[in-house]
Amino acid sequence: MKGPRNAEDRLSRLLVMLPWLMEQGEVPLVEVAARFDLTADQVQDDLELVAMCGLPPFVDEMIDVFVDDGLVFVGVPRLFTRPLRLTAPEGFSLLASARAAMELPGADRSGSLGRALDKLARALTDAGVDGAGSDDTAGVAIDMSRPEATDEVVEAVAAAAELTMLYYSPARDERAERIVVPRHVFVDAGNWYVVADDAKSNERRTFRIDRIDSVAPTGRVVPTTDPVDGPPGFFADAELPHATLRLAPAAQWILDRYPVGEVTQLNRPKGWIEVDVPVANERWLARLLIRLGPDVVVLSPKDAALQAADLAARMLARY
Amino acid sequence: MAANRVDRVERLTNLLALLLESERPLTLIQITGALAGQYPDAERPRRAAFERDKAALRDIGVPIESERFDDNATYRIDRAAYELADLELDADETRALQVAVAAVRTDTSAGRDALWKLGGASAGNGAAVSAVLPQRPELPVIRSAVANRSTLVFVYRGDRRKLDPWGLLLRGGFWYVVGHDHDRNENRTFRVDRFDGGVDAIEVGPTGTFTRPDSFDPRDAFPADPKQIGHAPGDGVLAIVWIDATRADAIEREVGSARVLERHADGSINVEVPASHLDAFRSWLIGLLDHAAVVSPPEIRDQIIDWLTGVVEAAS
Repeated sequence: MKGPRNAEDRLSRLLVMLPWLMEQGEVPLVEVAARFDLTADQVQDDLELVAMCGLPPFVDEMIDVFVDDGLVFVGVPRLFTRPLRLTAPEGFSLLASARAAMELPGADRSGSLGRALDKLARALTDAGVDGAGSDDTAGVAIDMSRPEATDEVVEAVAAAAELTMLYYSPARDERAERIVVPRHVFVDAGNWYVVADDAKSNERRTFRIDRIDSVAPTGRVVPTTDPVDGPPGFFADAELPHATLRLAPAAQWILDRYPVGEVTQLNRPKGWIEVDVPVANERWLARLLIRLGPDVVVLSPKDAALQAADLAARMLARY
Repeated sequence: MAANRVDRVERLTNLLALLLESERPLTLIQITGALAGQYPDAERPRRAAFERDKAALRDIGVPIESERFDDNATYRIDRAAYELADLELDADETRALQVAVAAVRTDTSAGRDALWKLGGASAGNGAAVSAVLPQRPELPVIRSAVANRSTLVFVYRGDRRKLDPWGLLLRGGFWYVVGHDHDRNENRTFRVDRFDGGVDAIEVGPTGTFTRPDSFDPRDAFPADPKQIGHAPGDGVLAIVWIDATRADAIEREVGSARVLERHADGSINVEVPASHLDAFRSWLIGLLDHAAVVSPPEIRDQIIDWLTGVVEAAS
């Protein structure tokens, strides 16, 4: 948070910073700033401010802190020696993240994360109801079952190993062999993906792991100077073309699945809505229209209904 | 006004310190007296400024309790409730949580803030694997009701529901709450993002009002395969579907080799899949484009043909 901050943010940051500083005794200002995601000036301002706080009859003695020559010194205070308790959202977020991490390939369930999770779940489960600690899942479960190839792809990320894989591309509707170097694996909305350097396009591409039919190492190791820092925000692509759809209630589940634009309620037919949906490719739109069948009317693009009909006719030819 | 000379953070810190240090509950007069010169002099602005500060402190998680005492509201903070209980995490356990928070991306900073309180720093994400976790403001409320055995009342797609929440489950990118529905006297599953009215519309009952079955695991509460939702496994309709060679490997992996009934010389296969939930079955089938066709039963085959014919005719 390096922009302007409100009083609540400044105070809550101070309440985690002070107990930590007390334990350290003496820390370089830049280290404090980096740790708590602030600028050095913000840390200095806040610490100087808090040093002026005090109540009668101990004015100015509440928090013994000063900054000198790039170092922060904190003496033994009477207050704020322990951090504020976890809020419900903080506790939940930590618990859910830790449980999700336990489901990722390579997690050591009986190791330190497992032990931390037990301690956390115990602290968050209020004692006395049915015995703290007996609640081994704390009522929060995360199901991240993964396609077979996932573990092999994760190992390739760690080893920077080049792979040859047989991959089904729905955009082209074909299965082809590709040579890739996996850089990062992630799961989003129940689907597993790998971000990989693709030899054919010479670009970094995202592939769905459940569409990989087979995978084998080529034996080459290709280290990267440009590591992937987490999942790409590929859904936020505003450049994509849009389709305007009218949806019956039975089709409105797509609002939960895709990043649609503003929703307009229609008077007729009753219960129908109109939305804009980003379209990654025409094939995807055609398939969506066939899925929705009589529950969708497409207003634009003009030829989308025809493309859906062509595809449906090809599917009918199988019968 | 004198109050303008004091920075708001300073006033909030002083208010927090005063309430933490005081041995008994304090009235507004006593509070503004102790923090002389920091609140406005006139009564109404003083009251308004104090209410804002109280709300700000509660927002960041400070447990301020208020009671009425001889017609006067009094305020206090229970220091034991204010301070973080020591989880007694070892250094490697704190590090493991750090790595977990770095590997699991959410759209809030709550996990990072929690880590700071536990003495950990944010870790850079150098991990090979990561996850994106949807967050909903309803989740902490539901989780604490699950832990405390509190009945929930909420509105779901227009209907009022009364539920004993047994557990939360993240599956396929959505959070579900699973439990016992009072009015329907059945176990039900609700998608949390479909609650009406947001977190404020959820009523939480008193603690300890139900018991959860010992063997309950949210993962068993409903089938992971959407083609089976709404039906007990085993009682459903099965369809036989032909899959061409392009998609045969992937579908065999998806449904399992035990469901492959026939293998043909051209690499195509016939598989048996649940079709009890016809909408989910059709959606799955359409995803396979012309790489698949229903072989039997005839009524499902006919329904698919009708559906596709409808799409063709709608465009002509």
